[in-house]
Amino acid sequence: MEGSTPTKDLSELQSTMRAIEYACSSIQTSIVIPAMLVMHINPGASEAVILSLGQSSQPYETCEFILENSQVATARFQAAAAIREAAIREWAFLSANAKRNLISFCLIYIMKRASSPDFYVQAKVSSVTAQLMKRGWLEFMAGEMVVFFNQVNQAVVGSHGIDMQFAGIKVLESLVSEFSPSTSSAMGLPREFHEQCRRSFEKDYLKEFYRLTQEAASRLTKKIIESDSVVPEAKVCTAALDLMLQILNWDFRSNTSDTKKNVNVFSAGVRQDGDSLKRSECHLVQPGSDWRDVLILSGHVGWLLSFYAALRLKFSCEGYWLDCPIAVSARKLVVQFCSLTGPVFLSDYGKIHEQHLLQLLSGIMGWVDPPDAVSKTIENGKSDSEFLDGCRALLAIASVTTPHDFDSLLKSMRPIGTLTFLSMLMSEVIKVLMTSNTEEETWSWEARDVLLDTWTAILTPINTINVNALLPSEGIKAAANLFSFIVECELRLASATAFNDEGDSDYLHASVSAMDERLSCYALIARASIDVTIPLLTRVFSERVARLNQQSRKGRGIIDLTETLEELYSLLLIIGHVIADEGEGELPLVPNTIQTQFVVDVVEADKHPVILLSSSIIKFAEQCLSPEMRASFFSPRLLESIIWFLARWSRTYLMSSDGIGEKILDSGHHHENSSKKTLLCFFGEHSQGKLVLDIIVRIAFITLTSYPGEKDLQNSWHELATSFSTEKTLILLDTAHQRSLAQTLVRSASGMRNSDMSNQYVRNLMGPIATYIVEISSKSNVRSIAQQPDILLTVSCMLERLRGAASASEPRTQKAIYELGFSVMNPILVLLEVYKHESAVVYLLLKFVVDWVDGQITYLEAQETAAVVDFCMRLLQLYSSHNIGKISLSLSSSLLSEAKTDKYKDLRALLQLLSNLCSKDMIDFSSDSIEAQGTNISQVVYFGLHMVTPLISMELLKYPKLCHDYFSLLSHILEVYPETFAQLNSEAFSHILGTLDFGLHHQDADVVSKCLRALQALASYHYKETSNGNIGLGAHTLGLKDSTGNVQEGLLSRFLRSLLQLLLFEDYSLDIVSVAADALLPLILCEQGLFQILGNELIERQPNPTLKCRLANALHKLASGNQLSSSLDRINYQRFRKNLNSFLVEVRGFLRTM
Amino acid sequence: MSDEEHHFDSHADAGASKTYPQQAGTIRKNGYIVIKSRPCKVVEVSTSKTGKHGHAKCHFVAIDIFNGKKLEDIVPSSHNCDVPHVNRTDYQLIDISEDGFVSLLTENGNTKDDLRLPTDDALLSQIKDGFAEGKDLVVSVMSAMGEEQICALKDIGPKN
Repeated sequence: MEGSTPTKDLSELQSTMRAIEYACSSIQTSIVIPAMLVMHINPGASEAVILSLGQSSQPYETCEFILENSQVATARFQAAAAIREAAIREWAFLSANAKRNLISFCLIYIMKRASSPDFYVQAKVSSVTAQLMKRGWLEFMAGEMVVFFNQVNQAVVGSHGIDMQFAGIKVLESLVSEFSPSTSSAMGLPREFHEQCRRSFEKDYLKEFYRLTQEAASRLTKKIIESDSVVPEAKVCTAALDLMLQILNWDFRSNTSDTKKNVNVFSAGVRQDGDSLKRSECHLVQPGSDWRDVLILSGHVGWLLSFYAALRLKFSCEGYWLDCPIAVSARKLVVQFCSLTGPVFLSDYGKIHEQHLLQLLSGIMGWVDPPDAVSKTIENGKSDSEFLDGCRALLAIASVTTPHDFDSLLKSMRPIGTLTFLSMLMSEVIKVLMTSNTEEETWSWEARDVLLDTWTAILTPINTINVNALLPSEGIKAAANLFSFIVECELRLASATAFNDEGDSDYLHASVSAMDERLSCYALIARASIDVTIPLLTRVFSERVARLNQQSRKGRGIIDLTETLEELYSLLLIIGHVIADEGEGELPLVPNTIQTQFVVDVVEADKHPVILLSSSIIKFAEQCLSPEMRASFFSPRLLESIIWFLARWSRTYLMSSDGIGEKILDSGHHHENSSKKTLLCFFGEHSQGKLVLDIIVRIAFITLTSYPGEKDLQNSWHELATSFSTEKTLILLDTAHQRSLAQTLVRSASGMRNSDMSNQYVRNLMGPIATYIVEISSKSNVRSIAQQPDILLTVSCMLERLRGAASASEPRTQKAIYELGFSVMNPILVLLEVYKHESAVVYLLLKFVVDWVDGQITYLEAQETAAVVDFCMRLLQLYSSHNIGKISLSLSSSLLSEAKTDKYKDLRALLQLLSNLCSKDMIDFSSDSIEAQGTNISQVVYFGLHMVTPLISMELLKYPKLCHDYFSLLSHILEVYPETFAQLNSEAFSHILGTLDFGLHHQDADVVSKCLRALQALASYHYKETSNGNIGLGAHTLGLKDSTGNVQEGLLSRFLRSLLQLLLFEDYSLDIVSVAADALLPLILCEQGLFQILGNELIERQPNPTLKCRLANALHKLASGNQLSSSLDRINYQRFRKNLNSFLVEVRGFLRTM
Repeated sequence: MSDEEHHFDSHADAGASKTYPQQAGTIRKNGYIVIKSRPCKVVEVSTSKTGKHGHAKCHFVAIDIFNGKKLEDIVPSSHNCDVPHVNRTDYQLIDISEDGFVSLLTENGNTKDDLRLPTDDALLSQIKDGFAEGKDLVVSVMSAMGEEQICALKDIGPKN
């Protein structure tokens, strides 16, 4: 301990210990028997006692005393926690000796008490040790660390007995997890620190630890295998296996430089993580080449496999079973070894890697082979974990090899390739899944998902590589068999579950998206053998349609069609996935295999399998146009899948790529591809395209009119409508999807030949709607009729349409949409007045204006801008006059909270409106400057903000989105227009400052950093202006006396004070420190005098002379260290960030001590 | 007789029907609906299906706009529902009488004295307190299906 702290006497230590013990046990009993406790102690008080131990200055002696002497385990636990808390906080001013003593005390403690039954105390102390070692990692000499590690290593090797060995392994485990960035604990230090520690740990220690553990484990195994019952060695060995697994999970990075030089051919097939590892986690293990001796050359894998094999024989013995900890850990390690790849293998064309995988595979095959026998034993009650681990190992192997290598692995020991085996395995799993068919997730579920991932890992490149190059022919055959089995099973499942009725109301949608992932994987498998699967699908589909026609002829009342309908439903989903991609916002191409795998005669295009399949589906869909057919078998669910299919299909095939395809051909970059060309031509504009489009549009129209209540259908239709934007004449329909419909229709104007036509089209389309709005608002009795439900409904619909149209603004149609909005400006104000109590309509009105302004503002000429801005201000004024001081009265609390939500949505819309106006100053495409008309956006926005702010109560700021929007707008305008801010009147000014102050103490770091940015803008503006001899923020920065005679500080002094207070004494996220530095620097520069005073105050308040001195130095360094100058340039900001960081690390520890 | 009829027509409310039919599928959250002959505001709409290949039904959860009671209804989405005609009118508050009635100033200068104060204490005090403080209050009166109630009040500055 440091000399300044006097050694406490025994009685004092004992009394503290007793207090802590008492507090600990009372908290514990409060959980068990709360009634007893309430009588005596308040749990809050006990908690405070425990907390105070960690918060007091230098509590180490007391803690150590408690650890060594207390009989209460929780008290020891708390003491360890207190050591950690205090030491991390005070680390900067502990003497080197004290630090060393603390670590060595902890280590010795763990070793001495290795046999203690209280595991959690041991675990806590070892984690504290690890954290302390990490905290001092960069300052200790290497030699000092070696002393500590020797202690641990001795224990791990086993020279002090089993218990110490276990404790040693646990310490290493804590160290590894502490040094791994994802599991490290916060220490109030910058990320660079953690990164440095990680690097040095990986370089110097990790491999050594692994080697030690491995040796320890292999020494233990003999005893375990030889003994007939459970021996304590098993526990230690399990811990060792877990530690090895943990080390292999380390995110190896040191090897990145030499991987580039030393590319392993065998691992060239390794895909990027994002690609192949979608669902199941499969972490690729890629240590550097220096790990080769430990992992590969030492025969380590062979030892592991034979150990597990020996364990398997013991499963019949007492104490061992398939899921006993040691077996589980061993299997996990085996799976982990399967995903080993990268420079650790020699670049010898993958021979060593292949050997390695072969060895593993031969061990794993016993877990899963033969599939039917294994699955039968599992169904008979054997544990499924070994089987599942086998599947996971296959997944791991698949993700580190190319499909060819993957397939040939098994051939050296079996007559079949791995892919064939995988197909058999998966068929078996699906078979079990079908027969069990329960709601719960069974092992077969999980196995199927893992195996599907395996297929995905193997087949993902199919979209870019020719199948024949990717897979061996046997593999293609295996995929074909598997797919036809999948289709068979899915159909059986569909008819079996046709009558299941999920209570879930949005089941329809959920079912599509939940199955989506599985279906995309099926599609990959299907595409591997596309020339077989397409005809198969065509055949199955035609069969079902024929059955449907037959059955319906017999009469609907007699035979229930539901099973066939459900089969068709799932077939359509499968086919849709197989023949077309989703595109995810991009234009999807014809799938690669469909392009390459068919050799087609252009003349006989209609014989192309894909065309045959598509045509038969379209022909089937066309039947829904007849009312009788619709009534007899087109259920909403079936039609939904049809529409979904058509949408997906037409995005790829229908007319869309025609023009683009030709362009690519012209530019000469495109290999002529007969299959693709045939397909696209067939459904192109000059062939069947128009006909098919017409059919689809009519289906869509029918869908919208005949199934009015079916919202799900209409959603699908909207997708369809966007997928072809060339349709010119569509009648407006009365549906709930007004907005998206209008948006789609207006968007379709972009398909017109020139901008005049587009604008005319929009005028024709939207004119009647605007006219309706104008007319209704100009009626003399608008007030009374507006409230009628039918009028209300129509007005809402029309407004939704306007909003849809406004959000579809494009440069081409901008003019027409501007005119549209301009014509309804006044009507909108009238409606806002009329519907002021109808919150839903108010919101619609506001949103329309928001979207309209958003789409228009950048294009507007000066005069137009002036009109729009004026309109927006009138709108704001009107809204604010309706809502200021309004109180809703209702008996129902849910109606009241609805009213609050409505208000929140309105305000958010208004803030968006202001932000949109702001953007005019950023992006402007108009021909002249808006200043010409005397419009000053900044004044307008401030004025708007001034009107909106009073409506925003503190309660409303609890809505995170609103809060976020508000502060973004505020920080934006303060950054961009500080000069306008300076001219505000004092009321508006102080209001904004008040909210800034509120925001600074908000718990959301994002809001805080926005406020800091605003502060930085203000202070730096003032500083720059005043150094140029201007007044800057002028009078606002001076203190003034308010009406009651109290002196109020100027704004900069006020924020300097509160920012320092925040940084030094309050809790905040470390992420804001650099933004805070950027704000603090100009504040200090503006208010140097005050900064001096505040600094002196801080120093004076510190009683301890050592700390006083440290604080003074730190403050001095903060303000002038690192060659800080008094200019506000980038370099200076950077320097100050560094200064502030080290300042906080230096002083926060003791300033926050109680 | 004919005079009276004429008089009726010019009066905006009296001739209008109390409810309108509207397809259930088009009624959305925050809209109005009649459930069990009570005018309600919809706070939740969900759709469900009878069987996989059946037709949709709408499930409404709504709150009586006058007494705040929660009501529920299930209607096939293509069927019609009754939608109440909900009207709101602003009046300036002139007086609160001892017997629990308010006196309101209408737009054309007459007074309306037939409206009772709410019976709920919390609501009552919100109105009474504001009035007692001498604020100039405008109250919004909501009416539907023959019932009336004060639904909001707004401070338009101190009484002169």
